[in-house]
Amino acid sequence: MCLGIPMQIKEINGYNARCEAKGVEREVSLFMMQHESLEIGDYVLVHVGYAIQKIMPQDYHSTWELYDEVLEGEKSERV
Amino acid sequence: MPLNAKTWLKEINSLTLPDKVKIMNVCGGHERSITQAGLRSVLPKSVHLIPGPGCPVCVCPEEDIYEAIQLALKESVTLVAFGDMLRVPVNLPRHEIRSLEQARSASADIRPIASPTEAVLIAKNNKEKPVVFFAAGFETTILPVASMLAEGVPDNLFVLMSGRLTWPAVAMLLESGEPGFDALVAPGHVSTVMGPEEWTFVAEKHHIPTAVAGFSSTSLLAAFYSTLRQLIEKKYFLDNCYPEVVHKGGNPTGKQYLENVLKVVDANWRGVGIIPNSGFALKEKYASHDARVRFPSYADNSRQRIGEMPAGCDCAKVVLGKIYPNECKLFGKTCTPREPIGPCMVSDEGACRIWWANRQRH
Ligand code: SF4
Repeated sequence: MCLGIPMQIKEINGYNARCEAKGVEREVSLFMMQHESLEIGDYVLVHVGYAIQKIMPQDYHSTWELYDEVLEGEKSERV
Repeated sequence: MPLNAKTWLKEINSLTLPDKVKIMNVCGGHERSITQAGLRSVLPKSVHLIPGPGCPVCVCPEEDIYEAIQLALKESVTLVAFGDMLRVPVNLPRHEIRSLEQARSASADIRPIASPTEAVLIAKNNKEKPVVFFAAGFETTILPVASMLAEGVPDNLFVLMSGRLTWPAVAMLLESGEPGFDALVAPGHVSTVMGPEEWTFVAEKHHIPTAVAGFSSTSLLAAFYSTLRQLIEKKYFLDNCYPEVVHKGGNPTGKQYLENVLKVVDANWRGVGIIPNSGFALKEKYASHDARVRFPSYADNSRQRIGEMPAGCDCAKVVLGKIYPNECKLFGKTCTPREPIGPCMVSDEGACRIWWANRQRH
């Protein structure tokens, strides 16, 4: 029940949007997204018919990656 | 360099691990991703992945389901609920109506919905009939329900609120002195709406490694790696391994509506008991849409096993991560998705059902 689905915004109409995922289109409420400026083409995470967050592509998946990179960097600086 | 699932697995394998590490997840979606991807079989033997309190349907109070059934049978209403709720049985003798699905067969007007917006639509289209929305779920589901009420609903829509918060169940386990896990994978979509900060207490107060994960193998393996390394290095912090949607503060709009519409109360978890500050209820200013105010209570104190799991069903232990699903004597024998005995075999997020569907044996 807590699973969200990433969908792409195709059309915005006030608090309603038409979103698409894997060829399927759905009406999605943007009522919970008033803090965010959304545009057509943006991806949102949709749960029980509501967009609950904008999806931001990110590179890193653990703080340890950055931590190790910094350590690596420090080591090579010292050499 | 960002790592993929394969390299995360390599990183995990390069760690010097203790003999036994139990990592608990508290999200049915996580359990499904782990089981479907077969992650248990590729991790080092010492790593045990335990499904914990991650299924809102499983812990939905038995007495609330009973109330919903009675409302649908005895009041002239349309009852709507998320589809998963319809098949969950309450503790009544076999010849009585034990689930919403059976009540529907007995011609009660009960309709499964997939979104609060459907509840609004049904109420709009049937102005003369009260519509009761039986709303069970964790924060991810309850924020949209609160937002629905905040946006404004027809006068004939009433909410039977049965929502629960996730973190208090984990806090209860940690405070019990026998948490039964060494590391925690925090739920991805609960953190998406509420903000990951809710889970810092696990790492900082209880020194249990914690990482928020998404639902891809990459994100889950990153979270396993992070917690294992925290454990080894004895550096405990809340890692965010799902940064695409988990941002500091969560969803501020949804949280504002939650705050305006609902209050947090002590609440019963089926088979578990009352957990302090773990449930939602409508605030007084929304009393005109509160099904508990509008309709009589049908609570029947003479019923056997009120609030408990069905006889012989170990769901309560499964939900708290004390046993694996297949350690229940009924698993796959008398209890299957076709004829479920307990809620963990009914819900798509129930560990028993996920394990059965994927032939997982530990
Ligand atoms: S297998 Fe069935 S009876 Fe056993 S704990 Fe799971 S749901 Fe309950």
